[in-house]
Amino acid sequence: MRSYVMILMIMSALFMQSNAQEARIDTAAVVILDRMGRVIGDLESCGYQLSTSRDVMEVYALGYVKHFDEHEIFMVGPDKMLVNSRGDKGHQGVWYNGSQIAFYSYDENNYALIDAPSDIISMIDSVNHTFGVDFPAADFFYPTFTDDLIDNFDYLRFLGTSVVDGQNSFHIVAKNDEMSVQIWISDDAYLLPVKMVIAYLDETPTRYYEASFSDWQLNPVLPGVMFEFSPPLSAKQIRIVAK
Amino acid sequence: MKLIQNMFRYILFLTIAAMLVSMTAEAQRMKHRSGGHSKSRSSMRSHSKPANKSHTKSNTRQNKSINGGHKNSPDRNISKKNKSSDVKSADRKSNNKNAGNRNSNNKTVNRNNVNIDNSNKNVNINVDNSKNVNVNRNRNTHVRVNTRPYHRPPYVYGGRRYYCYHPYRYHPYRPYYWGPVWHPWGFFVATLTITAIIVSVNNQPYHYDQGVYYVESDGGYTAVEAPVGATIETLPEGSQTVVVNETTNNYYYGGTYYEQGDGGYTVVPPTAGTIVPNLPEGGEEVKIGDVTYVKYGETYYQPVQVDGKDMYEVVNVEEDDGS
Repeated sequence: MRSYVMILMIMSALFMQSNAQEARIDTAAVVILDRMGRVIGDLESCGYQLSTSRDVMEVYALGYVKHFDEHEIFMVGPDKMLVNSRGDKGHQGVWYNGSQIAFYSYDENNYALIDAPSDIISMIDSVNHTFGVDFPAADFFYPTFTDDLIDNFDYLRFLGTSVVDGQNSFHIVAKNDEMSVQIWISDDAYLLPVKMVIAYLDETPTRYYEASFSDWQLNPVLPGVMFEFSPPLSAKQIRIVAK
Repeated sequence: MKLIQNMFRYILFLTIAAMLVSMTAEAQRMKHRSGGHSKSRSSMRSHSKPANKSHTKSNTRQNKSINGGHKNSPDRNISKKNKSSDVKSADRKSNNKNAGNRNSNNKTVNRNNVNIDNSNKNVNINVDNSKNVNVNRNRNTHVRVNTRPYHRPPYVYGGRRYYCYHPYRYHPYRPYYWGPVWHPWGFFVATLTITAIIVSVNNQPYHYDQGVYYVESDGGYTAVEAPVGATIETLPEGSQTVVVNETTNNYYYGGTYYEQGDGGYTVVPPTAGTIVPNLPEGGEEVKIGDVTYVKYGETYYQPVQVDGKDMYEVVNVEEDDGS
């Protein structure tokens, strides 16, 4: 039933802009993104797996090579987050308990601690700005995600539905001169992110970043101790340098 | 029909511009307005009719949301954007993107303050730095650029580019000791051995003894950085030859680099790309983005592996403006 409602909403949005085929901001895309945003915004906790790939230039002669990472992410609103990442950068963990962030490298057995703002989004934003730490695919969790796409892209279009990773999905693309962002959102009752592909159009050759979501857990009960970092006795605390 | 009417009202609401001006930031891979529980949120609510469910919830529930609840900006104006004829804004600035660098420097957001401990905490240094040694030091830790071209892109972080010939291979920093006569910077001795000699650099006298340079202080002598330009006749025992490039070698002892000349061996700054097997006490591991360097004085060393052995490469650090 909920899916029918969604289809009706999209159809009505498409109908409304049928006389404006050149519309750069597609209201159907906006409706879907808002719906997804409201679902995410209503969550008090969540967990998901994220598989990412990124183009890395290691040696000029070889051009870009693909690097893959797997992430396990948990959040409890408003101020707890855990990211466990494995991949070409090694095995790393990030713990956020509402006041402090701990970065721990399992491979290097060292960690850095920094004070942090008191909610997840402010923390993500602040740490990204100050220390250049990218939280994988965190864009979706910004409460203004739809507005951000409208504001910062020339085009925002709903391209239709497609099957991605075995899941019926709404396909949306946003584009400006610098990047093209393709987003797939599950065509089901939840409308959760399924996949994102970013092409950096202003770089030659074009660099790609890809993220696929899976194993969503909605409002799971997560113990608070999960978000507290206890350094191993042998671990060494090091300084993290701001940008 | 009712649904369509509701939808129409919803879209209509989105197209009504209101008064809040939010700041725009670039975080993660896309640009975002400042997020979280910002003041603009409460301001927005007071100005606008609730646009969606999350706006109608109680504060208690909102505070438990993972992101504070979805926000529809009251200044969202889709129709205006769709009417705009010029897609390419004339003043749109394309940042000077470097492959691998996702971090734009043009940030205009008023972000929350993060208390960053930028103090030079020597968490792993066991050196007595309490002595107030006031000397005109000729620091030998500024890096000379190597003439060999780099075949790898630099690691880019915080407006700096870190160039290395070898890939990053972490190994823990374990200070190396060159024997009982070698002392790290800051080490205080009451007396020097009879083998000590005086070398003068820029009218500053230094006492040199078996690979270590001292200045007089507090009735004794404190070990300091080897002054660039100091020349000694004989290399300290245990010095190693390190390759700078195809035509140049340096000699390395206790974190100091020497170049052979007519008058003996002269202290020189490290040259980028030089590989050394060990670093002395006094360095500090620092995390710069994803990479953990060892900072010794002003010089950054990247942990690398050469022929299966753990080594350190002198990093060439350049500012993004090319300086």
